[in-house]
Amino acid sequence: MSTQQTELKGTVKERAQLALNNDFLRQAVKFTTERLRSGKLKAAEEHGNWEEWRERGRQIRLHTIAHLDYYLGEFANNARENGVHVHFADTAQDAISIALQIAKAKEAKSAVKSKSMVTEEIHLNQALQSIDCEAIETDLGEYIIQLANETPSHIIIPAIHKNRYQIAELLSEDAGEQLPPETSVLAGYVRKKLREKFLQADIGVTGCNFAIAESGSIVLFENEGNARMVSTVPKTQITFMGMERIIPSWADLEVMATLLPRSATGQKLTVYMSGITGPKREEDGDGPEEMHIIILDNGRSLQLGDPEFQELLNCIRCGACLNACPVYRHIGGHAYGGTYSGPIGAVLTPALKKNVAEWDDIANASSLCGACYEACPVKIPLHDMLVSLRRRKVEAGHDHPLERVGMKGFGTVMSNVKVYHRALKLGKLGQKVVVRDGGIRTKIGPLKGWNSHRVAPSISKQLFREQYGELRSELDQQAKAADPAVAARMREWLTGRDGGASHE
Amino acid sequence: MSNARKDWLQQLDEASKQKQEQFLNGIAAKLQRPRMTQKPQRPLQGAPQFWEQFELGEVEKLEMFQRNFEAAGGYVLRAATLADASNIIVDKAVELKAMHVLRQDEQLLEQLGLEQAMPQVKVRSWNDDALEDWKARAAEADIGVVLADYAIAYTGSLALLSSKTKGRSVSLLPTLLFALVPRSSVVTRLGEVLQPLDELKRLPAGIHFVSGPSRSADIENDLTIGVHGPGIVYTIIIDEL
Amino acid sequence: MMRLLARYGIVLEFPNVQTCCGQPAYNSGYWKEARAAAKTIIHAFEDSDFVVTPSGSCAYMIHHYPEMFKEEPEWQEKALQLQRKVFEFSNFLVEVLGIQDLGARFPHKVTYHPSCHGSRLLGVKHEPMALLNNVEGLELVPLPFAEDCCGFGGTFAIKMSDISGAMVAEKAEHVIETEAEVLVGLDMGCLMNIAGHLRYRNQPVRVMHLAELLYEGVSYSDEHTANRA
Repeated sequence: MSTQQTELKGTVKERAQLALNNDFLRQAVKFTTERLRSGKLKAAEEHGNWEEWRERGRQIRLHTIAHLDYYLGEFANNARENGVHVHFADTAQDAISIALQIAKAKEAKSAVKSKSMVTEEIHLNQALQSIDCEAIETDLGEYIIQLANETPSHIIIPAIHKNRYQIAELLSEDAGEQLPPETSVLAGYVRKKLREKFLQADIGVTGCNFAIAESGSIVLFENEGNARMVSTVPKTQITFMGMERIIPSWADLEVMATLLPRSATGQKLTVYMSGITGPKREEDGDGPEEMHIIILDNGRSLQLGDPEFQELLNCIRCGACLNACPVYRHIGGHAYGGTYSGPIGAVLTPALKKNVAEWDDIANASSLCGACYEACPVKIPLHDMLVSLRRRKVEAGHDHPLERVGMKGFGTVMSNVKVYHRALKLGKLGQKVVVRDGGIRTKIGPLKGWNSHRVAPSISKQLFREQYGELRSELDQQAKAADPAVAARMREWLTGRDGGASHE
Repeated sequence: MSNARKDWLQQLDEASKQKQEQFLNGIAAKLQRPRMTQKPQRPLQGAPQFWEQFELGEVEKLEMFQRNFEAAGGYVLRAATLADASNIIVDKAVELKAMHVLRQDEQLLEQLGLEQAMPQVKVRSWNDDALEDWKARAAEADIGVVLADYAIAYTGSLALLSSKTKGRSVSLLPTLLFALVPRSSVVTRLGEVLQPLDELKRLPAGIHFVSGPSRSADIENDLTIGVHGPGIVYTIIIDEL
Repeated sequence: MMRLLARYGIVLEFPNVQTCCGQPAYNSGYWKEARAAAKTIIHAFEDSDFVVTPSGSCAYMIHHYPEMFKEEPEWQEKALQLQRKVFEFSNFLVEVLGIQDLGARFPHKVTYHPSCHGSRLLGVKHEPMALLNNVEGLELVPLPFAEDCCGFGGTFAIKMSDISGAMVAEKAEHVIETEAEVLVGLDMGCLMNIAGHLRYRNQPVRVMHLAELLYEGVSYSDEHTANRA
């Protein structure tokens, strides 16, 4: 089967509009994200002391990234000692080239894959197909969208945008017989079909949730069992790993294992958590005979040394930010137009490339509400990073010319209160044309967006600063004595803060 | 493996070692400091302090394990002795008309006497014959029987370490899994199993934590059990062990 | 807000040189222009002991000032000083002044929308609840999914108007679900946004800022006490 990318047309706004008009998609995304989000909140509360765990997770990741050269080096050396062939890839092309070399050397005809965002990022499947090696997704959701020739729309639940009827149709075609739209039947079909594929495949491909530096092991989290399958049955294993997906020790894994499943789906632990340390031992009865790990950069190292984006590398790909984001909830994953969607995607996609000129407006698809930051188990300030992205675009001169003019105007008006006043007076005059009943309903120009969904308020007849004089003299006349308790507290506050200095 | 292949892999490894230096130097350069070659100091490692002191009593541990494992769709049974456990397994096998059973090649599992108890069923022992295709045997097995290394109460998990006699496939490929757990191997926290791994010189190739039957909610959020791994998982906690 | 504080003998100054906190420019990445606006704010309050604002997002914006003035150490120092003395209104009442009960009476069904910047990012969570819970006769009904963003986000509502529209529609739906007579909040931006949509749908829910509600509440109390006297 071929695996073309879903074509990404137009701007983020256009794609978002498509998503907003797709009722099923919106309902499905909403239902799923709510389920996952409430699952997470419940699990976090039940576990207790969530903030402390978050902080610990953050510290472990910060430390590891700050010493990434040491830990990656340790990892590679230890992995080699276990018999793993370790490879380093600067770019997606490098990673593909290494993978294809291995596949060709094995004369591989089929590869079975467990879920890996990195392999999506580098478009591995297409590359394998090009050398006549069938690349089969084995995660149920991924298998479904592979049949549909689409890309995943959510990091954890890739086929969230498909309903059971669509899925039944896809699988029926695959099966060559009509399957009912019943979950257990559909899943049963996939289990049977993929069993054969697992047992016949030449290569097993995995991603890597966490690499353990001190033992050269990789750890995989999953619920279906397919990651265990692809790392146990085929004779050759290739593991793809983002260079930042690493922690120092197994003790640290306890923290990650506490944060990740709860943040992703609200589970205490995923059904399977597998630590794989090298290929099979000679005396073992199963396990791959040959194991490769390809460590990928592809723009990750660009974040190092950048104080605004280095924390981006803390990400453990749990998807909690997607589930918390109100924008994602309304537009779904494909509207983001990249391998990664949601808040993390909005930052990663541009940050990995740093090609400011080509950045689309994805960083603008956010109200900066901060829900992502609140949800993130390792406390990545995604909302701040979005502003940084916007600023870099402006500073590089790639902002929209109209916006630039508007903002320059803002700067001029706001830097001087007299100009500000004049502008407001003009606004009050100008609005007379469009105010009706104290509200503005016209949908022209910049008002179009606002007034398609609301009635805009008019500028009040008298600005606060105009009223102030009157109000002030009225209150001065009342001359109420300062409430002693209140005054005491204010003094206390000042003392605590400045050591008593005041502007009396 | 052919010599040509060995040579090719060796070449790759040599090239990769050089690339590694480049890669790591690049990282250090971006972090604006020289390469770090000594293990860095770590004031904060592993779980928060208060967590490391969390420990449940015997009875609570078992109760918590059962609660969590069952909440995930697994089954938990208690057996006073190994013989009792054997009866449980045999009864189930007969009930389900199982034809193939595969157990790990461990002494305690041999003592179950499954071969004798159900002669009509093909009971095999993992990797006891170098010429057998064990993955195929595991794939055709209806029931897999393993002896867990640990059970963890807080997460409702079994810890299974691989070895010559303990195949990873035995807990993965059969339709139904029986995991025997010595009562003395039940611990409270995941960290109790993970921390010692940092001390081990050489780890097994596969360390698997299993917390229930295989599942997925990928189709319209509708939960389905038994996708790729075993759909029915029984833990039998054995009191005398 | 001014009148409420005056009841405790605090009369607010309004330094006229202030224009705007600069958030719209800052959020869109136009930090140069944002700094221009910020300077008026810093300048305006240089001599104040306490700076109170009826907007959680403005208060939060001021927390960004030190970072914005990274390259201008003089201004950065002033920004840090300002940051320490800026308070969102409900936070000022409850934490600084220690007032939770203003003796207000407001016998209506009310629901509360916690603005993102104020509650999530600035951390003002319990103060509004404390104030509302002490208002006599007020029936506070929880707003479903209260913490979800209303979709305002300043320029976001203009730039990504369809997504913003979808978000405010969802928020308004939850408000209507509560059958509350009044929607109260801390941020005029959010309130204007939600009010605009409610009006568009001809919904009669009254939208008020917390200060407005409290003032109405204490005026009502005053009147009634006076009448009884």
